[in-house]
Amino acid sequence: MSGSILTPGLVGICRALVEIILGVVKAIFDALQLPGVGSWFVSSGVVVFCTYLIAALVMLLWAAMINLLLVLWVERKLYARIQDRRGIMLGFPWPWSKKYKSGMTNVGWGFLQNVADGVKLLQKENLTPAVADKLMFHAAPAMIVSSTLMVFAVMPFSEGLYYAKVSLGILFILASLSIAPLAILIAGYSSNNKYTLLGGLRAAAMMMSYEIPLILCVIAVVVLSGTLDPFQMVAAQERPLYGFLPSWNVFSIPQMLGFVVFFIALVAELERVPFDIPEADAELVEGWTTEYSGMRYGLLFGFKWLRALAGTGLMVILYFGGWSGPVFATFNVLGYPIPILPQEFWFLLKVYVSFMFIVLLSWSIPRIRIDQLLKIGWNRLIPLALLAILGATVFKTMGWF
Amino acid sequence: MIDWELALFLLFSVIEVLSAIFTVTARKMVKAAFWLLITLVTISGIYILLRAEFVAMIQILVYAGAVPTLFVFGIMLTRSKILEEGEAPETR
Repeated sequence: MSGSILTPGLVGICRALVEIILGVVKAIFDALQLPGVGSWFVSSGVVVFCTYLIAALVMLLWAAMINLLLVLWVERKLYARIQDRRGIMLGFPWPWSKKYKSGMTNVGWGFLQNVADGVKLLQKENLTPAVADKLMFHAAPAMIVSSTLMVFAVMPFSEGLYYAKVSLGILFILASLSIAPLAILIAGYSSNNKYTLLGGLRAAAMMMSYEIPLILCVIAVVVLSGTLDPFQMVAAQERPLYGFLPSWNVFSIPQMLGFVVFFIALVAELERVPFDIPEADAELVEGWTTEYSGMRYGLLFGFKWLRALAGTGLMVILYFGGWSGPVFATFNVLGYPIPILPQEFWFLLKVYVSFMFIVLLSWSIPRIRIDQLLKIGWNRLIPLALLAILGATVFKTMGWF
Repeated sequence: MIDWELALFLLFSVIEVLSAIFTVTARKMVKAAFWLLITLVTISGIYILLRAEFVAMIQILVYAGAVPTLFVFGIMLTRSKILEEGEAPETR
């Protein structure tokens, strides 16, 4: 029931790599007869700094590039199939395939379309409206991007693939996801455009009002688990419940209601359709991102999906048992146990299945009006979330769980 | 060699004091709310330096996440024109 593919951990692997590289640099400097400089390179401060720098780059590359592209591809192909069409098809020209003559092709599995979109956005002009508030206009995308990327420093993808082991991990993730409403409001206001202002105000109202049931459901889970640490929370969900079911939090009786409320609040936090009113394409052009162009728009566009990844990752850690899953066999390669189905696989499987469910939901349901939306958030979800907390507290004190 | 805690504390303090000054001297009220956000986030950074991580997280969750947003909503609901300038309305 365990076994990560990165046994010494991401930071451990990066440290070994950095020590090798700095050892080589030191040897070069020793050969050049500058032993003082060489020994500075292997001093512990430099090694630790380079370790964490490279580990941060690897984590960002993994989460914000590979996973982001995969999530975008999954979404675009899936919603195309829902609409009974084939979807993005700009493929890679494999030389051994008979269909492809040369160059990029329009018959393929479509992975390169997102890269092409990124390149297109890079080479567009970065316009700033003349009467926009320059500081806030430029600061708002930076705030959204940085607060979303902070999540991946703390969210572990398995027992080995994490950057920092923070004992308040869940709280850190919630706090960094809660800077977004204000950043969206500032983006909408500073564009000096009635429609973006409307979109920004609606977005801030919606996201702030749905953060409350989100955090209340997390409180219910934390009451039952007794910890805010994602590692301990996943470890508590690995016991078998009825002999064959894993004891994921979603199956425990007080959490079923909490899970439904959390899921609805999460879809609202991610600004997906049914809760799409801030960037209602048919009404507000692009909502609060209308005046952004070029790569600034590309960042905001891409980070909507990165927030989806962070949100579904949080949901999987809280309710679906994180990275726990049956490991069928383990190889022994040079003394390191390498499992066939490592924990990263189970985590990513659960995240992508949840994300596919969110996409199915998004592309089948019409948009909810802003007043209905706020009514749902305040009148319906908050009492249900409080009921979930009540149930969790009762179960915990009675010792039924 | 370099005392990193002191350096970080000085950096956070300078940013915080400057953004607090900009908060109270801003002409437009939404800009004041923006500078308030920066102030509160840097205060949370100082809490982390003081080894009070829980308080720092709660500061970001409560203060930086909700309080400036509520300020902007308060501005919106009490102005004659939506989010226009911060001068007092003319008396009739």
